[in-house]
Amino acid sequence: MAQLAKPAKRRRIRGDGAWAYAFIAVALVVFAMFTAYPVVSAFIISFQKYKPIGSEYVGFDNYIATFKDSLFWKSVVNTVVYTILTVPVSLIISFAIAILILPLKKKLQTTFKAVYYLPAVASGVALSVVWLWIFDPMPEGIFNKLISLFGISNQNWLGSSATSMFSLVLMAWLSSHGTSIIIYLAALLGIDSSYYEAADLDGANFFQKLWYIVIPSLKPTTLFLLVTGVIGSFQVFQNAYLMTGGGPDNSTTMVGLLIFNNAFKYFEFGKAAAQSLVLAAIIALISLVQFKFMGKDVEY
Amino acid sequence: MKKRMRVLASVFAVSMALTTLTACGGKGDSKSAEASDPNAKDTITALLPPVSGNFQDTFADIQKEFTEKYPNLTLKIEPASWEDMTQKLDTQVNAGSPPDIAFIGSDGISKYVDQGMALDIKDIATPEMINDYDKGPLEYMKKGDGLYGFPAYMEVHALGGNREFLEKAGIDWKKVQQQGWTFDEFREAIKKGVVSEGGKTSRYGFVFATAGVTSKDYLGILIKNAGMPSAFTQDLKYAYTSKNYLEVLKDIRALIDDGSMPKELSSIDAGKRWNMFLTGQTMITGKGMATFEKSANTNNEKIKANDGSAVKGSIPVTYTVLPVPSFLGEKAVSSVAVDGYVAFRGKKEPSEAHKQNVVKALYFLASGKVAATTNNDLFVAQITESGRKAAESMPVERDADNKAAVETMLKNAAPARPDIPAELEAKAIKLEDEVIVPKLQALIAGEIKPEEMYDAVKSAAVSAFGEDGVVKD
Repeated sequence: MAQLAKPAKRRRIRGDGAWAYAFIAVALVVFAMFTAYPVVSAFIISFQKYKPIGSEYVGFDNYIATFKDSLFWKSVVNTVVYTILTVPVSLIISFAIAILILPLKKKLQTTFKAVYYLPAVASGVALSVVWLWIFDPMPEGIFNKLISLFGISNQNWLGSSATSMFSLVLMAWLSSHGTSIIIYLAALLGIDSSYYEAADLDGANFFQKLWYIVIPSLKPTTLFLLVTGVIGSFQVFQNAYLMTGGGPDNSTTMVGLLIFNNAFKYFEFGKAAAQSLVLAAIIALISLVQFKFMGKDVEY
Repeated sequence: MKKRMRVLASVFAVSMALTTLTACGGKGDSKSAEASDPNAKDTITALLPPVSGNFQDTFADIQKEFTEKYPNLTLKIEPASWEDMTQKLDTQVNAGSPPDIAFIGSDGISKYVDQGMALDIKDIATPEMINDYDKGPLEYMKKGDGLYGFPAYMEVHALGGNREFLEKAGIDWKKVQQQGWTFDEFREAIKKGVVSEGGKTSRYGFVFATAGVTSKDYLGILIKNAGMPSAFTQDLKYAYTSKNYLEVLKDIRALIDDGSMPKELSSIDAGKRWNMFLTGQTMITGKGMATFEKSANTNNEKIKANDGSAVKGSIPVTYTVLPVPSFLGEKAVSSVAVDGYVAFRGKKEPSEAHKQNVVKALYFLASGKVAATTNNDLFVAQITESGRKAAESMPVERDADNKAAVETMLKNAAPARPDIPAELEAKAIKLEDEVIVPKLQALIAGEIKPEEMYDAVKSAAVSAFGEDGVVKD
């Protein structure tokens, strides 16, 4: 029996499978070094007072400090509010644009895809500078000029707690839909045309086709975009960092920004690592709930 | 063919993996751990931002001159933008392999000392080097008993006025430059600078950048003139629980409520307020740096020459340095920024020879011709004897009144506080970032009252320093 097994093993090593393992190993090494290792390191550091020269073990102190920190919970609430306001609306906008692009000729379709994808290629810093200009608090600011047409007095968009979160949400609504649009378009093109033909024979109008064919067919795509959108939104950092710095009165301090500040401003890497792991747990929990309630009848 | 492709592909895969591994390999401290022979060849690394407009263009000359002076030494300069500087340095520090020298603000030293990554040069710097520096700025480079670098300049944080508007408003700017002013005098003066028509204000009396963290500067500059030159008193009690603090907060609000400052002040950043100053939308701006005079003069020349690169809508401005007003009868104390070259160490203790070489490079950069050229470019005063001597042959076209005003303010500069322990300082910085700045933004935006901010700061201070660790008056 052992004699029979030996040549079989040798065959596997010589076969195409061995090459596959060799190539997978490269990705595995990269994953281990740049994803798994930092996560394990973060876990270890979360129990330490980190210093480049000799860290000190502090047990659960960083976790206790995190749970006692009112600013941490405020930033969690801010992040949840931001996510609830941005992700669903962004999905609807992306879906609507994808539906509008779908009937166009291929060249025109490609042009629109490129145009909508452009902000994803542009530097976030450059985009923020443009948005800062748009949100200029003085009467000559673009948004202030726009609202003055409706008789509304000029707003201190980023400088007031009443409008700062809305300003960041507005920024998210009006930009960065490129990836979602492309994914929705690919999914729309994957719907079998026979469904539409059958619907035409039954006399279905545009909205009926949308409701009974398109939306159910795109459920896996929507679930994917929702889950990744929520994850991305929970990790949001750049907009708050560049536009408001978390202010005023911490009204736009997101968890990502708080973690960054703890790590790179105050060098409290242990606390930052603990907060990152708590954030990861929250994201995992929310993703689980999304899969449980929305992924029931989704076929992959 | 198929076999060859497999071999090529596997070579490619292995080289990719190796590249990744190589990229992760740190250079460690190989540069610093060589011999203890002071004449051995050595390389000193420096991470330097564009300290002045021309500074980074002179790197090749600086490196060449350094090697001419010390033939066994090489100065390797890595340029960085101001935006990247802190992040680059912090990443390198926390990885345990910082550059030997970095140009930073003296207020940033304590966190690197706390990390154990700043190099104490107290016993390495020679008396000739130490004696070359003015005592005031040199003190800013100290923490506890240690000396962690050499200062490049001490810049006063003042206010800047449009001379024509000041005169139109009947303000005796020369007298103010020489004798200073009280908050009440300042408040009345900036009221006179406001120009309104039909309920719309076309010019404010005073605009200070307060968007985001710049609000920290605004409050910091004012409270120094209200009997709180530092966050801690001499007996190390947290000072911002003093009643004077509340009075300054009330005054900050009063200037906005008077209409002398815009109600959108909380969103006005440094670029915006400078634009407002050059376009005549404000009579006085802050904070005012020495280099602003040069910037205003350059713009004036562009306007004169019909150069399209002049600030859009700008008017000719004679920049006038003004002191910050004093509050509640307290002595005027100027807020200063002392920036300089700080020495770092890696995870491994550097050799004595390398430490000495680092100090040679520090001194080379922060004194003599290099410092004189940079400081002249910035319109700031020389703070070393060697710098002053080198600057004698470098003409600076600076307004004499402004120069004298800055010198007067420098005499009243807030003294350095190396006695404040790093731990207390770290707590104060965190309190400032997490409570003071957010609450101040809300106060400026008109969302909370001065009393609410004062109570929030007091409560956070008691939590951080204890009942006995704060000022009670």
